[in-house]
Amino acid sequence: MVKAIKITPKNTEFVVISFEGPDKYYSQAGGLGVRVSELTQVLASKGFTTHVIFIGDPKKPGEECLQEGRLILHRWSQWISDYYPIGVYQGESEKLYDFNDTVPTFVMNDIVKPAVERKKLVVIMGEEWHTAAAMINISDILHYNGLRDKVLMLWNANHTMSFHRIDWGRLNYTTTITTVSKYMKHCMWGLGVNPMVISNGIPKRMLEEHDHELYKEFRTIFPSDLVLFKIGRWDPDKRWNMAVEAVACLKRIGVSTTFLIRGGKETYEGEVMHNAKKLGLMVKEVRVKEPDIKNSLDAFRRALPADILNLKFYLSEDLLRLIYRDSDAVLANSGREPFGLVGLEVMAAGGVAITGSTGEDYVTPFQNAIVLETDDPRELVQYLLFLKEHPNEEKRIRREARITAKQYTWDEILKNLIYRLEFIAFTKNIQMGENPHGQ
Amino acid sequence: MASDLVVYVVVHQPQRLKLPAQPIPKGAIPDDIERCVFDSELNRFYFEKVSKTCYHPATSLFLQMVESGFKMSIGFSASFIKQALAWGPDVLEGFKNLVKHPNVELVCVEPSHSFIFFFDVEKFIDRMKWWRGYLKEIFGFEPKVTDTTEMYISNDVYFALLQAGFEGALMDGREWVLEWRDPTHLYTYVGKKLKLLPRHYDLSDDVGYRFSNWRWEGWPLKAETYARWLKEARGDFVLIGWDMETFGEHQREDSGIFWFMGSLPRELEWRNITCLTPSEAIAKYEDKTHDLPLPEFGCTWAGSGGMEFFLGNSAQLAIFRLMQHVYNKAKLTGHERLLDIAMWLTQSDNLHTIQWFGRTGEEAEVSAYFTPRRWWELGPDRIIWEQQQVYKNVIRAMDHYL
Repeated sequence: MVKAIKITPKNTEFVVISFEGPDKYYSQAGGLGVRVSELTQVLASKGFTTHVIFIGDPKKPGEECLQEGRLILHRWSQWISDYYPIGVYQGESEKLYDFNDTVPTFVMNDIVKPAVERKKLVVIMGEEWHTAAAMINISDILHYNGLRDKVLMLWNANHTMSFHRIDWGRLNYTTTITTVSKYMKHCMWGLGVNPMVISNGIPKRMLEEHDHELYKEFRTIFPSDLVLFKIGRWDPDKRWNMAVEAVACLKRIGVSTTFLIRGGKETYEGEVMHNAKKLGLMVKEVRVKEPDIKNSLDAFRRALPADILNLKFYLSEDLLRLIYRDSDAVLANSGREPFGLVGLEVMAAGGVAITGSTGEDYVTPFQNAIVLETDDPRELVQYLLFLKEHPNEEKRIRREARITAKQYTWDEILKNLIYRLEFIAFTKNIQMGENPHGQ
Repeated sequence: MASDLVVYVVVHQPQRLKLPAQPIPKGAIPDDIERCVFDSELNRFYFEKVSKTCYHPATSLFLQMVESGFKMSIGFSASFIKQALAWGPDVLEGFKNLVKHPNVELVCVEPSHSFIFFFDVEKFIDRMKWWRGYLKEIFGFEPKVTDTTEMYISNDVYFALLQAGFEGALMDGREWVLEWRDPTHLYTYVGKKLKLLPRHYDLSDDVGYRFSNWRWEGWPLKAETYARWLKEARGDFVLIGWDMETFGEHQREDSGIFWFMGSLPRELEWRNITCLTPSEAIAKYEDKTHDLPLPEFGCTWAGSGGMEFFLGNSAQLAIFRLMQHVYNKAKLTGHERLLDIAMWLTQSDNLHTIQWFGRTGEEAEVSAYFTPRRWWELGPDRIIWEQQQVYKNVIRAMDHYL
């Protein structure tokens, strides 16, 4: 009986190429940095030698080995990042040129060739439009050097951003294109490609229960009927105005609400805040110098009374999970969301996620979350009132949410990824070295 | 009937630009500007390729030839030396051995292979003096005779070379400059000290350009035929000038170029043609110098012999203007390293490689041949655009220094 190809740490190494990466302040502008960081940590923890090539903090070493040498961070273009200390996307075009120009040769000479000598398959995964050209170049250079059949190449779209800059014909020819949700898959059909869906994930720790003393305090701070929370970039896609209008509507009908919000650095904030004030909502900005949980909760208390607390400080994972869990609902109500990681994180924390209905494959309406079908704020208001009147339903949704979230930990996603890779290796007739069954 | 032969080869590798243009980080230090502007990977690729096909075999061949009495002269650009120091110390060693031989004369060249004399003639004089001294450091000899970029000569450049202290200069013997005169005599301008040795471009190009061309009526060219042509040339001596890369690179080994050269000394001997170095030719014919009116519009050894090969289309004129701007901007900063980068950006190769723009024919083919193959992926229009972008990026990057 012929055995199936099996990808294991014995016969495979991984390379993840991304602009964003594990360096918390410099390299993480959004969900991509978190994704790359978590995915590569899990790969390494499962025993795979994993390289991450990303635009790292220029003050950190160019190369760093973690997890007993299994996780190797390659901070790229640091000579350029030196000129741009703010973050990964400052000096974007300068970094992009250098990335496309120099990463392919490095991947071939320093990663693929040695791995092939050790009879290993190399899986190269590129993330987002920034890496599309580099991935094409890597494929070309490997092909030119007779190594292309020793390598599996996947390129992943987390978002539709800058799709117009991608040479889809060449990318589709040189790599296996993947994306994070069925919604994205459908969006991309229009580009003449049929991406494979490999879902995003969350780290296991997101499911851990926290019994911190201060966790009990959160709900007592707010005297309002409802506490809502929303986090995301200041972008019309996130439907900030819909959320603000819903809060104003609740206020009008006598349901007092405290709406905690945390945006990014985008200027669209101005429009949203203007709209909130125009609707008669009292907005306060909250800043915390040392934002541990205690200081943050004290700051919330001091800022009241207010309808909206605009949080202007970094929210730690612990604080976020507290807010996710103990708010009445978290508004992840985007009009267009490729995946919607926030919704999944809320569910993992046992919170009530109110999502849009685009890329959030993990939601089942009124089973494990609330799903909006329109951009009408009244829909939001109606569901919030429903939850308030049906506490048992709310409890059930919170319970189901955690059960669903367990299926989306990176460990689970990794299994899915490996199965897909084995299928791709089989169809592309990839040379698996001497140990194709991973024994 | 010419009884003497002067052979000159020039060894040059350009500092190729990085195309598409790499954006330069704001506030970049000169080293990083340089890193963004010049394609060291591409330079290395070509250097190693040419070392294998030309420098190693041709140097060995010339060494054998001079050992058996052949005489020649040789010039090196600074960008070649820079690359040889970085990627080919063995190549440089081979050339040092060649230059050490008493039958070989070291000739000075404009170090950056640039058109700096159009923008700053004093700088040109300084550079020529500096390079002469630097060559002495490397090879142990101080050149007395000089070549210039693409063998350029004009009225003012002649006086600049005179002020730089050279005894002789090579020039291209074009009819439009020489008029009724033959290129086979020693010349001077208005009785000044600096002697002019015109290159016999027709006989030079028989080997330099036409040697492998099977459509050419002279093909296949044999050493005996060529020696006969040299002998038949009217005048005192024939100066033949070639790119070093003629041997093995422009004319591939399988064209028979090495056989041809290897057989030439014997054929010359049979016909009583004596080989001289440029200085020997000057010494021998010093008393027979003729006056040559030099043109105000200079002549070169490229294309039809004027500046048309470099300034013949709108894209070249745009780059030429940008060369002036980048150099002026660097001067305003007063920063030595930035001036050095600007100097490399005035390299004639950056005009040579876009002569083909809007052109067809033999000259365009020559220009396209010298255009790095990798650039063609961009397509003709984008090559032009990206090249301009390189200059613009550097000009902007210097804002930080003012």
